[in-house]
Amino acid sequence: MAAITKLVLVAALVLLAGMPSAAFQQEHQEKDQGKNYYAVVFLNRGSLTGGTQRNVGLFKRPLGDTIWTNIYGRNLLSFGLGIWEGKSSRRHYMAVGNGLHQSVDGTKSWRILTDWHTEEILSVAPDPIDSAVIYVSTPFGVFKSIDEGRHWEKKMSGMKKWFVKKVVIDVNNRQKLFAVAEEDVYRSTDSGEHWEPLHAGLTDVQSFAQDPAFPQHLLTGGEDNGIRLSLDGGGTWQAARGVPKASFYAIAISPDGHTAYAGGFKTGLWTSTDDGVSWKLLWQNPDIEAISTIYVHKNDSSHLMIGTSGQGIYESLDAGKTWRSAGLQGCQVRQIELYP
Amino acid sequence: MGEVKTSMVGRAFLLLIVMAGSVSDHSMAQTSLTTESRFEQRRQRLIDVVSQERDRGFFTVAAKLSAGRDKDFALAMLDSLTTDESIGGMFYAYSAIGTYLRLWNQLPDSLVRKLRQAYRERTMYRGDTENHWVAYYTGLYLAAQTWPNEDRSQWFNGKSSMENFKESEEWLNRWMSTTATIGQGEFDSPTYFIVFMTPMLTLFDFAKDPVMKRKAQMTADLLFADFAAEHLNGNYCGGHSRDYPDDIVNPLSAPAALWAWLYFGEPNMELWQESRYRPRYRGGWETVFGAMSSYRLPDVIHTMATDRSKAYVHTETKRTRNVIRFGQEKNPPVYKYTYMTHDYALGSLQGGILQPIQQHTWDVTYRSDKPNNTIFTLHPFYSGRELAMFFPEEQKFLADEVDRYHLVYTDPNKWNSSSPYEQTFQHKNAIIVLYSIDKNANHQHIDGFFPKNLDERIEHSSGWIFCRAGSVYVAFFPLRPYQWIEEKVDWRWRSTALKNGIVLEVGSSDEDGTFEAFRNHVMQSKPAMNSSGNDLIVNYETRRGDVMKFTFDGKRRLNGKAIDFKTYKFFNGPFIQSERGSGIIRMTDGKKVRELNFKKATIKEWQRSQN
Repeated sequence: MAAITKLVLVAALVLLAGMPSAAFQQEHQEKDQGKNYYAVVFLNRGSLTGGTQRNVGLFKRPLGDTIWTNIYGRNLLSFGLGIWEGKSSRRHYMAVGNGLHQSVDGTKSWRILTDWHTEEILSVAPDPIDSAVIYVSTPFGVFKSIDEGRHWEKKMSGMKKWFVKKVVIDVNNRQKLFAVAEEDVYRSTDSGEHWEPLHAGLTDVQSFAQDPAFPQHLLTGGEDNGIRLSLDGGGTWQAARGVPKASFYAIAISPDGHTAYAGGFKTGLWTSTDDGVSWKLLWQNPDIEAISTIYVHKNDSSHLMIGTSGQGIYESLDAGKTWRSAGLQGCQVRQIELYP
Repeated sequence: MGEVKTSMVGRAFLLLIVMAGSVSDHSMAQTSLTTESRFEQRRQRLIDVVSQERDRGFFTVAAKLSAGRDKDFALAMLDSLTTDESIGGMFYAYSAIGTYLRLWNQLPDSLVRKLRQAYRERTMYRGDTENHWVAYYTGLYLAAQTWPNEDRSQWFNGKSSMENFKESEEWLNRWMSTTATIGQGEFDSPTYFIVFMTPMLTLFDFAKDPVMKRKAQMTADLLFADFAAEHLNGNYCGGHSRDYPDDIVNPLSAPAALWAWLYFGEPNMELWQESRYRPRYRGGWETVFGAMSSYRLPDVIHTMATDRSKAYVHTETKRTRNVIRFGQEKNPPVYKYTYMTHDYALGSLQGGILQPIQQHTWDVTYRSDKPNNTIFTLHPFYSGRELAMFFPEEQKFLADEVDRYHLVYTDPNKWNSSSPYEQTFQHKNAIIVLYSIDKNANHQHIDGFFPKNLDERIEHSSGWIFCRAGSVYVAFFPLRPYQWIEEKVDWRWRSTALKNGIVLEVGSSDEDGTFEAFRNHVMQSKPAMNSSGNDLIVNYETRRGDVMKFTFDGKRRLNGKAIDFKTYKFFNGPFIQSERGSGIIRMTDGKKVRELNFKKATIKEWQRSQN
């Protein structure tokens, strides 16, 4: 009993640390009322796999609230979140070290869809139309299911190496996929059956983003390689100007396509307003070791959140001019989303 | 107490009947009464000692209930283990069901329900290492077997009993097959040995499927034999994966030493009584599941572990753990070489990155009544790229994260490390270790561990450093200038040249007579090094007259003939033989042969003369 009390106390301290001020919270838009922020946490500083884990897994913070609450997977080292939106139903997917987890009842209950064959799930991409089709990336390739996770097939034709950090579905064409693989960005135009390298010019690819408004615009970041961009859908690539040859682990583009953001290991947050051609440093905080994910609000491009490698979440409501710590201190945050 | 003993004897008898179907008649008489009765004494002693433990854990609960000590306290402890939501994971998954299956008849219904509840509601993470998966799938297999025919809503992972059982069975079969054909990725770990052994013995004790039961027994045999061939008086000798610094510099402090005490009867001391040898709680008391198991070590393996009447060379092939990035193959081979005598063992891996974080590439370990009975060198390498070969996170903060778990990863003074700049060439009791360190490497020195309690440490004008520990002699030749740094239990030998290395020979009074004779013999030869340009080459003629020529990143030549690692068998030594990939492991003590055939899931034993 004492141990439980102690745990709750510790968890509360972790979650409340860095809570945004009341004034800061009041700026949320009315159109998002009723929605929740979700954060995927991979690690807690000082935790050991196999030992006791605290505050990893899936967290929820209702809009206007200040506290992140763990809603699933206290013990699950989690890489990412995927949502399938139907007309009357929603399916949540969690990419986790021990498999792909699915909830069909609004995160109340979960089940694991994969088995030992797929090992760690590093990202998930549910087909936006057909709920039976799911893609996951793993350290040993891309896997695809066409029966809602009952069976999985490895899809690696054309790939030279096996590590795939992320699989992404094209914003306009659901048969077109991108894979962030070890040594290159790959593209498939037949739902993962075959892959071709895009020769992006990086040796250790870490991040990728497709412009939601102008899908031919692609950005990618690599380990110690800065950022590269393509304006023709991956046909040709060029080095971005203004950014250091640093490790960029996260790239995001605003829904209107006007602004791109990128961050990584000791880089600070960078921004570009010319399709990623040139960049400038937007914000740097010496307390932040690495930026691991960037969220741009779908309806308000000035509302940004970043997940860090161990310092929780930071939030800005004025396009990055000012920032506040927004909770989950000590957590390595892999993904942030806003959903109903 | 009486009931438990009767129950265990009955189970052992039943086991003998079951085994009779799969093992030839000769195996029935495999264990001598003396060996058996001594084992019986040790296992009862261990249960008794662990039953006095107060720290919370399933092994403490199991020991207390088994010994009939502090029953109410043990049940309260078990209750807290089932209700404390802050614990869970793969170790919980197998130790909880192991405790339940051993002691269910002593548990009140309320606790049985809570244990069942744990597998329904608790998040049991599978983990990301080989030992994690063995623990997880063993626990899940036995839990699904124990509570069959339950639907998806009754399990933490949303899979039915049948689905969980099938998945666990499939993975365990695959792991056993891999372990018996190309070896473990977490091979020969003095720490994680227990996390493979305890699940296998639990599986052996409680799997209802006779084939799975037999395969668990065979895998336990294999793991014990693997240890036995490189065992010297409780020490797990030579090169290792997953080795912790405390255990490297003081080999008997490793948890595996307690298993050696229990099953091999060596060392002849109760390790927990000696603070200097005290097994850490992490893993040490798990051995009590071994003490409670009906598994009995085959006589052949006991002899492998303890008969040191003749010196021998033993080689093995293992594999790296899964390489997920920056590699050309998923599990490149690891080549092990060990020279074992009555007094010492010299053992090595070929070098390079074979294991992240916790590699121990080579050492000489000797029989001694003093702690810190080992000498070795290393390059304290670290890099995010090394970690990213094995872990999926971003390499820039992997080193920092791992440093938080393992505390010493980036430490320039650490005593465990893989390094791409380290390679070895061993022939019997001589070894050449070369280092070609990149000028941009994080740490640019090599270190050597020399225990302070050596009886003699002599620096000779010839360049040789001679050491004596009792009847064991070591000759150590640094190829570059060095310095000594005094530390608590050791003299740290340090050299800072980037192209570097050492030559070492080991001897003993049995082999060489006096220490002086050994020294004089060794000094008749002097290593010759060529390190011009990119080359790093050493020529050395051992005191036995063998000529070793070693080129870093090049050939290892013995008496002019190149060593070809591809000819290494899975096991090759006087006690154990196996071709890589065959799944057939044959062991002998000279009189009997015991054959494990993992492809047929059979065990055979016969007298050697009848073969």
